[in-house]
Amino acid sequence: MVDMECVVQGIIETQHVEALEILLQGLCGVQRERLRIHEICLKSGPHLGTVASEVRLLCDLEQAEPSWTVIHAGGAMRGAGAEQISVLVRSMVESKTSKNALRMFYTLGYKLDHELLRVGFSFNFHRGAQITVTVSSINKMLKLHATDEAMPVTPGIQMVEVTAPATAETYAEVASAVSSFCEYLAPLLHLSKPGISTGVVPAAAASLMSDGGGTTL
Amino acid sequence: MEGEGGGEGLNQAVQQQLNLKQVKTRAISLFKAISRILEDFEAYGRTNSTPKWQDILGQYSMVNLELFNIVDDIKKVSKAFVVHPKNVNAENATILPVMLSSKLLPEMETDDTAKRDQLLLGMQNLPIGMQMEKLKARLDLISAACEGAEKVLADTRKAYCFGTRQGPAIAPTLDKGQAAKIQEQENLLRSAVNAGDGLRIPGDQRHITPAQPPLHLADALPVIVNDPTAQPQLSSNTMPAQNSLLQTSSASQLLGRSAASPSGATSTTSFDNTTASPIPYANSPRSSTNMMNTPSPQPQTTQQQPQVQQQQRQKLMQLPKQQQQHHQILAQQQQFRQSAMQGLGQLHGQHQMQFSQPLGHQQFQGRQLPSGHVQHGIGQSQLNQGNQMTRLSQFSGPANSALFSAAQTTPNTQMIPNISGTLPSQSLLQRTQFGLSGNNPQRSHPSQMLSDQMFNMGGGNPGGMMPIQQQQQHGSQAFGSMASNAQNLQSGLVTLQNTQQNHPNFSQQRQQNLQ
Repeated sequence: MVDMECVVQGIIETQHVEALEILLQGLCGVQRERLRIHEICLKSGPHLGTVASEVRLLCDLEQAEPSWTVIHAGGAMRGAGAEQISVLVRSMVESKTSKNALRMFYTLGYKLDHELLRVGFSFNFHRGAQITVTVSSINKMLKLHATDEAMPVTPGIQMVEVTAPATAETYAEVASAVSSFCEYLAPLLHLSKPGISTGVVPAAAASLMSDGGGTTL
Repeated sequence: MEGEGGGEGLNQAVQQQLNLKQVKTRAISLFKAISRILEDFEAYGRTNSTPKWQDILGQYSMVNLELFNIVDDIKKVSKAFVVHPKNVNAENATILPVMLSSKLLPEMETDDTAKRDQLLLGMQNLPIGMQMEKLKARLDLISAACEGAEKVLADTRKAYCFGTRQGPAIAPTLDKGQAAKIQEQENLLRSAVNAGDGLRIPGDQRHITPAQPPLHLADALPVIVNDPTAQPQLSSNTMPAQNSLLQTSSASQLLGRSAASPSGATSTTSFDNTTASPIPYANSPRSSTNMMNTPSPQPQTTQQQPQVQQQQRQKLMQLPKQQQQHHQILAQQQQFRQSAMQGLGQLHGQHQMQFSQPLGHQQFQGRQLPSGHVQHGIGQSQLNQGNQMTRLSQFSGPANSALFSAAQTTPNTQMIPNISGTLPSQSLLQRTQFGLSGNNPQRSHPSQMLSDQMFNMGGGNPGGMMPIQQQQQHGSQAFGSMASNAQNLQSGLVTLQNTQQNHPNFSQQRQQNLQ
């Protein structure tokens, strides 16, 4: 039973995503998985308690039958030790659920805060820890739940996330494994904690890797 | 430090600045005073007479005060000569003693002596200045060769249409405007993912969607009727739709019949536009009924079939596209490798690219990744030249370190040129030894020894970049980045196959630390 996760985020220009996919396939040794997730963020109302709560419902549209997951991401670890770690460690609870979850949360009193659509690919592999690398474009829906009319928030830039589940006893090793793996991606992108921006890799290094990937105009 | 050996090895100006002679004189006088006191104590013991405590306490006070002053002066002297690591943790605790030692291990010293003799072959009789000039000339020749190789590689890429998208003329770093724009977009993207900024829909647009629910939310949407805030809006839309549906289906029961309102007409039109096939339209009366009554299993079963069919169609359409992309990628990779090998053949690149690694040229190392297999055939003589290059890079490091050390000891700016000009050769030798100790973790690392055998590369070659950068860090950061160095060693243990890729990553991280 995992109750924590280690997270780092970064951005990459869309023109270099193909090179990153080739690099990831070489490093991870597994096939990529296509990604199309409708993410609904719900927030608790005042009558549910004094502490605000945020729940995310993920519907995987890539499956033959839409698959629902509910995630509650809690607070990040704080203190001098957390400052020195290069990844974010936070509590996280995740569970598979049926399609009635949205109805249940509405009945409980949760309100819809925002929603987004992720389109891209991901790699799942084990290297010191069970690591998931997700490369996706983040799309905004102009109408409520209109997933077919979604538009990218930043058309030329995509989000890269590296996550790994952990427990209170193993988060140090997991953080070290995630940090070590991120160093292999340094030629193409920089990764940092959520909330800390790092920019993109200068064009020369990314251009070399992209030419190695070999895409035609 | 306060002895004769330390004094002889230092510059006269440094001695005068630190007032070493006075400290030495006072230390000697203190030693004599203490010796005299000890003789008095021996006399008291022999004659068995009562000592004069008042005199003894007075002498003790004088000795204590003088000792305190001397210790305080020695502290000032130590600041210039003592290295004190500030960030010691579990990761670097095992490496620090080796790096702080002022003398190399015996086997390292033997190897270093052999390399030094080979490097200075034929120049040992010349003075230090001429030796440095000759080494600098050799460095310039190698740099010119690297630049020539880089230019030919760029021309080859251009000839084979690899550089048309981004040519070598583009600056390696983004200009400030573009960097600011990218940072703004990054902040926008991160805040959208983590906090939902920019993703919320205004309240007045929410009521439009219930008429067009996506398939995966079809069962979840009826719950919105129970939402107190949304119920009035939904009820106002449901009644006209119900009327029009009842008229269309000509049900036997007729609720209050009235003239069609404009909103009813709009609702009917939206139904016709959204339904692409008759199946969902045929199910509309049932879903409408479902809102009022208890849901039955039959409508769910019927609604699932269109989902499966549509998704299967999407997958069938996507497969050929993916296969085409993979085919193009593979063909392009083969073409790039052929052109790279031809370019290397024109260059005699095995000989020249070998020297580029110790220089830490980031762009060059990035290019080496596709042609890594060429280096497997490097001969032994070329490896020796690579090792010479390693020593060259190490030799130039101590000069910078000596200059920085001189600048630290003398706050007066005008004295720096004189001090650096008159530094003796022994000082250079000592700093060379200190810089070389940085090689020990790399050389004695198990994965490093294995990779030496796998890739047929010299032991000193991957570590050639460490002394320069570590000395720079020693001057500027004082062991601040020891943790990252240990992490590099740990990442080397994860997978041996990535050792070759680890080399450019290492230089990338070092440059980031320096920035």
